Amino acid sequence: MTWKDIAPVPTAQEFIDIVLSRTQRRLPTQIRAGFKISRIRAFYTRKVKFTQETCSEKLGQIVSSFPVLTDQHPFHRDLMNILYDADHFKVALGQVSTAKHLIETISRDYVRLLKYSQSLFQCKQLKRAALGRMATLIKRLKDPLQYLDQVRQHLARLPDINPTTRTLLVAGFPNVGKSSFVRSVTRADTPVEPYAFTTKSLFVGHLDYKYLRYQVIDTPGILDHPLEEMNTIEMQSVTALAHLRAAVLFFIDISEQCGYSLKAQCNLFKSIKPLFANKMVFVVLNKMDIKTFEDLEPEMQAELQDLTKSGEVELLRASCATQDGVQEVKNHVCERLLAERVSQKLKAGTASNGAMGSRLSEVMNRIHVAQPMGGVTREYFIPEAVKTLKKYDKNDPERRTLARDIEEANGGAGVFNVDLRKDYILADPSWKYDKIPEIYDGKNVYDYVDPDIDAKLQALEEEEERLEKEGFYESDEDIGDESEEEILQKAEYIREKHKLIRNEAKMRKSLKNRAIIPRKAIKKPLSQLEDHLDQLGVDTEEIGLRGRAQAMSRGRSVTRSRAGTADPDAMDVDSTSGATAKERLRSLSRPRSRSVAAVNRRDDGVQDETARSKAERQAKLSQRKMNRMARQGEADRHIGASMPKHLFSGKRTIGKTSRR
Amino acid sequence: MRVENCFFCGRPAWPSKGITFMRNDGKSFRFCRSKCHKNFKMKRNPRKLKWTKAYRKNAGKEMVVDSTLQFAARRNVPVRYDRELFAKTLKAMERISEIRARRERVFYKKRMAGKRARELAAARKLVAANEHLLPRLRGSEKRRLAELAAERGVDVEELEREELANLRASKKSKAFGGEVRRLRVRTDGGVEEITEATGGHVDEDMDDDDDDDDGDEEMDTD
Repeated sequence: MTWKDIAPVPTAQEFIDIVLSRTQRRLPTQIRAGFKISRIRAFYTRKVKFTQETCSEKLGQIVSSFPVLTDQHPFHRDLMNILYDADHFKVALGQVSTAKHLIETISRDYVRLLKYSQSLFQCKQLKRAALGRMATLIKRLKDPLQYLDQVRQHLARLPDINPTTRTLLVAGFPNVGKSSFVRSVTRADTPVEPYAFTTKSLFVGHLDYKYLRYQVIDTPGILDHPLEEMNTIEMQSVTALAHLRAAVLFFIDISEQCGYSLKAQCNLFKSIKPLFANKMVFVVLNKMDIKTFEDLEPEMQAELQDLTKSGEVELLRASCATQDGVQEVKNHVCERLLAERVSQKLKAGTASNGAMGSRLSEVMNRIHVAQPMGGVTREYFIPEAVKTLKKYDKNDPERRTLARDIEEANGGAGVFNVDLRKDYILADPSWKYDKIPEIYDGKNVYDYVDPDIDAKLQALEEEEERLEKEGFYESDEDIGDESEEEILQKAEYIREKHKLIRNEAKMRKSLKNRAIIPRKAIKKPLSQLEDHLDQLGVDTEEIGLRGRAQAMSRGRSVTRSRAGTADPDAMDVDSTSGATAKERLRSLSRPRSRSVAAVNRRDDGVQDETARSKAERQAKLSQRKMNRMARQGEADRHIGASMPKHLFSGKRTIGKTSRR
Repeated sequence: MRVENCFFCGRPAWPSKGITFMRNDGKSFRFCRSKCHKNFKMKRNPRKLKWTKAYRKNAGKEMVVDSTLQFAARRNVPVRYDRELFAKTLKAMERISEIRARRERVFYKKRMAGKRARELAAARKLVAANEHLLPRLRGSEKRRLAELAAERGVDVEELEREELANLRASKKSKAFGGEVRRLRVRTDGGVEEITEATGGHVDEDMDDDDDDDDGDEEMDTD
């Protein structure tokens, strides 16, 4: 519970400055008498209202930022009452709140008046009056605002005391060593000086014990006088003692160096005893280094023992100066406090009949202490053979034979090969060195290895027999009769013919860089016509005769004949032996193609069969590259398009390439 | 050592032949030759390539359902070596492959059942439409025969028919090609070789199920 974030409270003058300057800054300032009166009224109404709103907001903020006393823990409430006087605090806040309401009333009144104002001047005067009255009200708040700011500052510096957590509360006469104790057990930097009332307010330190955090509160000293006479400083201690559910460490200085007699200290304990109700109280005898418990007079000892009579009080010893017993006191108190709190919680969660409350049982159910093996102890077991085993000794001639020994005996590493087959576990040991077939007839033997191969094969044989009986294997080989064979042969012939025709057509089609000659213009020799007709089964003799007769010119022969008797159409038989002079002459007057007998140029110049085949091979070889590169001839150096568009556009799936 | 089947074409890939591709998920792919490997790398589907076993099986060109095919299987239960068992197994393997070959032959026969009839029908149609392309006697030849008949005093037509038959018999192929050697497997398991001196392989207007003459040879290779 902290109040560190309360906004600073401005003084009355500052408050007025803030409000008015804000009005000036945030609202328009330009107004003229020539403006429409409604506009002028609106302008000033807005000024008044805005000022009021700002004031209300700011005052409201101040009121709400301070803690409401009735909502606080009794300890904090009492502490604040002691420190700041609750009445004063309430009155100050009340004044602020009243001022807020008054300002709101003023604003309402003047806004109403502004509605009826007739001129700019009138409006302005009304506004001035309204703002002036607001400022006066705020000026009257001067004292409350100042007080509230002081309270704010003090609140922010109050120690952060949590009234519900594990707490150790250190109390006692002034100067008995309370702060020294807190200093030595926590990291709090409590001031320690050799005079009374060094500590003037509550201090808080923290310590860790068993991984839990404890809050240690150092209180100012208390004097033994009635409550009404106590001052503010003492009252803080009393408040803490009264309201905090803590373990109280009542410090007693048995050396009496603090300036108070042991008797007086005991009396104080007795007088504030009502505050210890329902609390654990430990009386700590401090400054044991100067005077021990045993050094005291017996009656004093009895007096101290008397304090612990009530049962709930324990006597502890410590010396803050030498640190003797300080840690013991701390540990003991923490331990007791923890146990007490746990038992209280258990008690609070358990109903009178012993049934645990739901929240408590939920927690208890989660606590499980596991024990290993369920408490059973297992014995180890060593077999007899292992116990009697003789320890392996390298030099013992009767030692066990190891694989290493065998290796050594058979040539050592690199020579000896470990016999793995020796350790095979087979039905018959004599099978160990069998050559196991892996592949047989192109099949993996191991794929066929099956313990019930017999039964399966039997089933197959039966199936085979059944199929045989059913005539599954009977074949009806029909050898086609002759007419069918003939038909097939004819078809074969026709197909071949088709192919040849097609090839020829293809050949004709390719232009090979030649001019297109119309079919009509192509000259065909008569012989070709004759041959064709002959092939079709027409007797061409008469046609030939008729054609020649028509082609023969009438009258005398054009060719000059020395003898004059020559028939120009006589057969030009090439006869070298019996060639007459006339014939030789005739041969001169004819083109070479007709005068010389046609020779097969494939055979021309080839001596014999071997030379012929060689030549053919050569020819083939020389054409191979051309064919491979799809060239028409040696001179074809055509380079086609590298990536023809139509072959590379479109998608191709995995399926086919033929269509795009 | 195992004879694995090629992942792509299904041919047996013998040890030391082909290549194995291990994918980074642990699956291994055995290829019988670089052709299959390359096709695999090209991400081709073996079912769509006619030369693979996958295609042939898919297209019903091969016996897929049969009891003989169930004998060879990779078993993941190790069997200890037993001499008798292995001896029995080897015998069984022989017998199984024998039965399988027979059944495959029958399968092939059944598959090819209507082929000859279809071929004949096609041939008849072709011959009927292209009678004019059949070889016939030349005009000059006819004349010669007529003269010969007159001389000998025999019927002209008789002579002509004889001559035509001679002509057809002596006809030699001009198209490219040679003789075709066929291996025919008989149902009793024997193999006979037939040599057919057909000319060019001219089959553009046939349906394409006659293109597996090689099926006979491949039958017992897997």
